[in-house]
Amino acid sequence: MKRLLLAGAMLVAGMGIAKAETIRLLMETVPDTRYIQELLPEFKAQTGIDVEMEVISYIDMHTKLVPQLIASEGSYDAIVVDFYWVGEFTKAGWLMPIDDLVKRDGIDLGAYVPKLLDLVGQVEGVTYMLPFYNYSMAVIYRKDLLEDSANQAAFKEKYGMDLRVPETWDEYMNQVDFFTRDTDGDGKRDLFGTVIQAQRGDCISMQWANYLYGNGGSYHDDKWNPLMDSPEAIQAMKDYRLHLTNNSPPGSESFCFDEAFNVMAQGKSYSLLTFNIMYAGFEDPESSKVIGKVGIAPNPGGGLNGGWGWAIPNSSPNKEAAWKFLKWVESYEVAKKRALLGGAPTQTKIFTDPDIVSARPYYPTLQKILEGVKDFPVFTYTTQFVEATGLELNLAATGQKDPAEALKDANAAFRKLLKKDGKI
Amino acid sequence: MAAVADGGIPPRKRQRSIAAQDRLFGLLVAAPGLGALLLVILFPILFAIFTSFHDYTLIHPNFETFVATEKYAEAVGEKYLHTAVWVTIKFVIATVVIEFVIGFTVALMLNTVQRFKTIYYFILLMPLLINPVVVGLIWRMLLHTELGIVNYGIGLVGIPAVNWLGDADIAFWTVVMVDIWHQISFMAILLLAGLAALPREPYEAARMDGASALRCFIHITLPLMRPVITVALLLRMIFAIKTFDIVYIMTKGGPGTATDLISYYIYRAAFFGLDVSKASAMSVLLLLAVLGLTVFLYRYMKSMA
Repeated sequence: MKRLLLAGAMLVAGMGIAKAETIRLLMETVPDTRYIQELLPEFKAQTGIDVEMEVISYIDMHTKLVPQLIASEGSYDAIVVDFYWVGEFTKAGWLMPIDDLVKRDGIDLGAYVPKLLDLVGQVEGVTYMLPFYNYSMAVIYRKDLLEDSANQAAFKEKYGMDLRVPETWDEYMNQVDFFTRDTDGDGKRDLFGTVIQAQRGDCISMQWANYLYGNGGSYHDDKWNPLMDSPEAIQAMKDYRLHLTNNSPPGSESFCFDEAFNVMAQGKSYSLLTFNIMYAGFEDPESSKVIGKVGIAPNPGGGLNGGWGWAIPNSSPNKEAAWKFLKWVESYEVAKKRALLGGAPTQTKIFTDPDIVSARPYYPTLQKILEGVKDFPVFTYTTQFVEATGLELNLAATGQKDPAEALKDANAAFRKLLKKDGKI
Repeated sequence: MAAVADGGIPPRKRQRSIAAQDRLFGLLVAAPGLGALLLVILFPILFAIFTSFHDYTLIHPNFETFVATEKYAEAVGEKYLHTAVWVTIKFVIATVVIEFVIGFTVALMLNTVQRFKTIYYFILLMPLLINPVVVGLIWRMLLHTELGIVNYGIGLVGIPAVNWLGDADIAFWTVVMVDIWHQISFMAILLLAGLAALPREPYEAARMDGASALRCFIHITLPLMRPVITVALLLRMIFAIKTFDIVYIMTKGGPGTATDLISYYIYRAAFFGLDVSKASAMSVLLLLAVLGLTVFLYRYMKSMA
C-alpha cells in the first residue's frame, strides 16, 4: 500500500513537471496583436510554453495594469507598454531592467530604429523594453485625387504651386482647403479636406501634435521649459480650428480615431492625419471603399512618434519564460513574418527586406516617416499631461475658449506637472 | 416533558422570552450577511477616508506622508471640479425630473391596461437590461453626424443634420436623452408596482361622491403614492449622481467640459492623475453631499405627508 502511494505521488509530481508552462500577457486589440496570435503555435512548438493572451481595448489597459504592477506578484508575466506610460512605469519601478538579459543572450539593440529604442526601449541609459511596434503618425491622402490632371491644373491656378505629395505645411493647408467641396452640386459639402478628431484627451492631443510640428513648434526646449504658448503653437491651434470649422465633417468635435477613419474609408475626405497602422485598413475590402486609392506620406514638419514596447514587470511570476517569449517574438524571423501579415515593424532592416517590399511596397515610406518623427513629452505624468492639455486644446478647437488663452492655461498645467516631476 | 417544563412559567413571561429568542435567532441568521455588508461597504469607505488624509499616489503607493486636509483643499481649489459639480447638478435634475414625468405617465397608463401587459413590460425592460457601455456604444454609432441612422432618418423628413455629440450645447442634452432612454423603465416599473398595490376602496368611495379622474389623481393617488415616489426619486437621484459609463463612452466629458460629470472627474484624478488621495478626498466630499441630500429629501418628503 505504501509503495503504491509513493508511486502515485511520484506520478503526480512527474505530471507537474511535464505539464506545459503557461505565460500570461495583457495585450491591446490592435492588428499586431492578432498577427502574433497567428504565430503563437510556432512558439509553443519551439519552447513548449503556452501563451495566454488577455486582449482588451486601450481605454481599459492602464486601469487594469496598475493594480497588477503594484502587487508583489501580479498576474501578467509580460506586458506591452504604450510610450505614454514609460515615464510613469519606470519611475514607479514597475518594469524590470533587461540589460543583463540582453547582454547574456546577445540581443542586438542596434537592430532597432533609434527613435523607437529611445521612445519605448531605454530610459536614461537603462533598457526596460524591446520596441514592439510603431504607430507614428502620418498623412494618409487620396492618391487618385492628387494625381488627377484637372485637379492639378485647378490647384496650380488657385495657389500658384504644384499639386504633389505635400512637403511643406503650407502645401498641406492649401490642399485641405482645395479639396473641401460640394461634388454633386446640392449645396452641401460632401468631400472634406481632412478629418479632425477633436474629442478631448488622447484623440485631440495626438492629432494636434502634428499641427504643432507642422508649424515648427515643439512642446518644450532642451531643458524641458514648456513652450505650449509659443506663437507657433497658437498658429497650430488656429489652423486646427480652421480645419475643424471649415474642412472637416460636422461632428468632428467629438470624433476619435475610429470615426475619423470611417469618414476617410467612406471616401468622404481627401486626407487624414492619423496612425500609420491605420493604413492597412484602407486596403481592406471589409472596412474601406477607397481601396487602391490612398497613399501615405510623412507629415510636413514631422509626425508624432508613437510606439509600444515589450516589458517584463517586476511583478511577473515567471520572468525567465517571459524573456523567452520576448526573444522569440522580437527575433528577426518572427518580426518579419508579422510585418508580412501587415504588422508595424521596429527593426530597421525589415522596412527594406526584399520579401517585405514586394508584398507591401509602402514599407520603405514607413521608414521615411519614422526618420522624421518627433517625440511627445514623455515623463512621469504624461497621462495627466494629456488629460489636462487635451481639455484646453478641445476648448480652443471648439471655440469655447480663445486659442491663446487656452494654450496659456495648457502651458501652465504642463509647467506644474514638470515641476512636480522635478524636470524643471 | 416540554409541556411540563413550560407549565411552570407564567404565559406573559413565556411570550416575552419567545420574542427575545426570535430576535436572537433573527440576529444570528442575519449576522453573516450583515458582517459581509459591513466588510464590503464600511471598509472601503473607511479606507477611502484614511487614504484621503495621506499622500498616496500610484507612483508612490504608501501611507508614509500624512497630509491632513491638504488633498481636500487641493480638490476644492480646482476650477474644473466646480464645472463638473455644476454639470452634474444640471444632469441629475434634468434626468430625474424628465424620467419622473414620463415614467409616472407611462406607469399610470400601464396600470389601466389589461391585455398584453407582459409584452409591454418586456419592451419597457429591454433598455434596462443592456449594459450601459453597450448603450453608449450603440448610441454613439446611431448619432454619428455623417454616417449615423438618426441624422439619416431626420434628413428624410427634411430636418437638417444635428451635431449630437460635437456641439457643446446639444451634447449635454444628448447625454441626458440617452440616459433617460436607458433608465426610464426603472422609474416606470417602480411607480407601477406602487400603483398596483394601492387600495381600491378610496377610489370607489370617491367615484360614489362623483369625483373626477383628475381630482382622484390629485387627492388620492398622489398622497397614497408619496412613499413610493420618494423612494423612486431618491434612488434615481443617487444613481444619476453616479453616472459614469455613458459619458465615458460617448463624450469623454466633452466637448470641452459640457458633459464632464463628477464621477468621471474623480476617475480621471485617480487613474490619469495617479493621485488616489485626491480622488479619495473628492469621493468623500461627494459621499457627504449625497448623504446630506438624501437626509434632507427624506425629511422633506416625510414632513409633507
